[in-house]
Amino acid sequence: MIDIKDIRDTARDMLTKGEARAVIGYRRGSRGMLAEPAFITNLEQADELVWDPTCFHNLSLYLVEDRKFLAHLRKTANAPIAIVAKGCDARSIVVLMQEHYFKREDVYIIGVSCEGTGVVDERKLAPLLNGAHATSAAFDGDDFVFTTAEGEKRLPAREVMADRCLECRNPFPKEHNAVFGEDKTGRQLAEPFAALTRFEAQGNSARWDIWSRHFDRCIRCFACRSVCPMCYCDECVVDSISFPVTAETTAEDKANRIRWIERSAVRSENITYLMTRAMHLAGRCTDCGECERACPVNVPIRLLNNKMEREAREKFGYEPGASIGGSSLVASFLDSDPGDFIR
Amino acid sequence: MEKILDKKQIDGWIAALTAKSQDGWEVHAPMLEEGIWTYQPASGAVRLDHPNTNQSPKGFAFPQREIFFSFEQIKGEAPRLTQVLPKEQRHAVFGVRPCDGRGVPRMDKVFTDHVEDPYYNARRKNVAYVGLACNKPPSPNCFCLSVGGSPVSTDGLDVQLTDLGDRYFVKAITETGKALMTAGGKLFTDPSAADQKQVKQVHTDAVAHPQRKINDPDGAPAKLRASFNSPLWEEMARACIGCGICTFLCPTCHCFDINDEVQSKAPLKGQRVRTWDNCQFPDFTMHSSGHNPRENTGARLRQRVNHKFQYFHENFGMHQCTGCGRCISGCPVGIDIVAVVNKVTEHAG
Repeated sequence: MIDIKDIRDTARDMLTKGEARAVIGYRRGSRGMLAEPAFITNLEQADELVWDPTCFHNLSLYLVEDRKFLAHLRKTANAPIAIVAKGCDARSIVVLMQEHYFKREDVYIIGVSCEGTGVVDERKLAPLLNGAHATSAAFDGDDFVFTTAEGEKRLPAREVMADRCLECRNPFPKEHNAVFGEDKTGRQLAEPFAALTRFEAQGNSARWDIWSRHFDRCIRCFACRSVCPMCYCDECVVDSISFPVTAETTAEDKANRIRWIERSAVRSENITYLMTRAMHLAGRCTDCGECERACPVNVPIRLLNNKMEREAREKFGYEPGASIGGSSLVASFLDSDPGDFIR
Repeated sequence: MEKILDKKQIDGWIAALTAKSQDGWEVHAPMLEEGIWTYQPASGAVRLDHPNTNQSPKGFAFPQREIFFSFEQIKGEAPRLTQVLPKEQRHAVFGVRPCDGRGVPRMDKVFTDHVEDPYYNARRKNVAYVGLACNKPPSPNCFCLSVGGSPVSTDGLDVQLTDLGDRYFVKAITETGKALMTAGGKLFTDPSAADQKQVKQVHTDAVAHPQRKINDPDGAPAKLRASFNSPLWEEMARACIGCGICTFLCPTCHCFDINDEVQSKAPLKGQRVRTWDNCQFPDFTMHSSGHNPRENTGARLRQRVNHKFQYFHENFGMHQCTGCGRCISGCPVGIDIVAVVNKVTEHAG
């Protein structure tokens, strides 16, 4: 079990020695049990750091933000940023480094192992609390312990864990500078891609009906894109301004910009958006599952990304975020590639 | 008009409303679909046991997509524009919570006070809101009492239902509401003295339930005005990812974008449509020069909060926020409008 004191001490130590200019971690939020991202720059704040089953967020997103901010200011960093990263989060950081978004020395990874569990899925938890609202959540071996107004509620983690965590085999952040918690690499709480396999067991027409309803429900708030560390493009096909506008851009250029996707949140446009995003995540998505968690209308976005991930694994033996030096899926090929066109 | 409706009779009432011989209402009620509560066309099996709907009912008068007109240009001819007004169809929305009811007059202010928006008003005049009082706060992030509302408020509603266990206490608020109830005819019975006493007690208890609290809502407009340049904005928006959840779920956010959706280039054919827009999107304020006056999440959070608690108040004398708490519950990274307003107003001195 991880002692939060260790994470706090590491944060304090990094800041004291000037080895990190900030520590990104988790702290208690103002909404019930939920943790929220914390940006620690002074020693007192380090005491706010927490580690519990509501630490969902893939904080590597903020490394991307930081990099963009520095580029905007035309500044370079004087010290790395330290970041608390779970197994999936650390793999995202590896992908970002593979893609040369930042360098290894720009980041100090404080790895946290999810050990035998993972993060809670609020949608699974709610019915088990019978209308009560949890004010805190804690790890305890294979259980999660919640505090509610009616008292303490202990639940087997497997009953309320997010699907992504149940299916995760690598809860240990292999890439790290410091790491806390037991290495349980290879653990198997559910079959990999179990949710996808369940979904695909249905026939084509049933799947189309289900997806049609999901696509119709999407409100295009873009939370799935915004919360994703891999969606870092400065220009995105879904934005109304999908190319950089400068003082030199003519009115004609702006008027004749290509609009790939209309703003209307209707099925055709929503499909184009969600499918385009899934394609762009092939070989890059590390299944942190944040897109699906963030979705306000419960579109099972993870299934789309999982599909690509499984294709990459089955066809090419590719696992995103496995090593910084490894080649990326879409920028490499194998001599043994089954397709003739590539050779 | 005050009546009692047995819960078993609500489907009968809805059937009476939807019957063509009556006014031909299309009835909508909250249904649980894919784990979220959404308003769905209802014909039966309506049980108003929802907490609050995932999205507010603002879309009945202000849909996410509204077609203004279609256009067509045939070579050598003048362009043809055809206005597309919403279909004349009456909608009765059941189970509207008081916070969402209070959103209605706020939206009305925006779309009728200075400029009468023909599309909004064409829909609005055909929508009736059948509210449901909150016997206890449906969300841990409710704060209607902090913004001049109440769990038993009737603002914006045509009918108010109060859950009395096996029956509803039904009160008409407007003439439209009376007509809705009249359509139910004998399904409604007169309330007894005991019913009157019980509804009073339920309302008293509802208001007494603890909620989240904005500490100084009355002082907020002036204090926010004084805090425009506060460094707190950037600090509090540090985790903001710039998605549109908070405003798309909000019962009073009304910003929109207008685009031409071209269906064919030759001959040129398409539609001009209005879609919801969102002040939290980075390109919301992007100028055509490339300059963006609200270039970071701090400036964008300030816009959202100030619009709710300062600008709207200065323009219309009321907070725009109705305390439903959706933006708080829905935020993937914990940005909490109650905490933000409290922190900024406390630091404003």
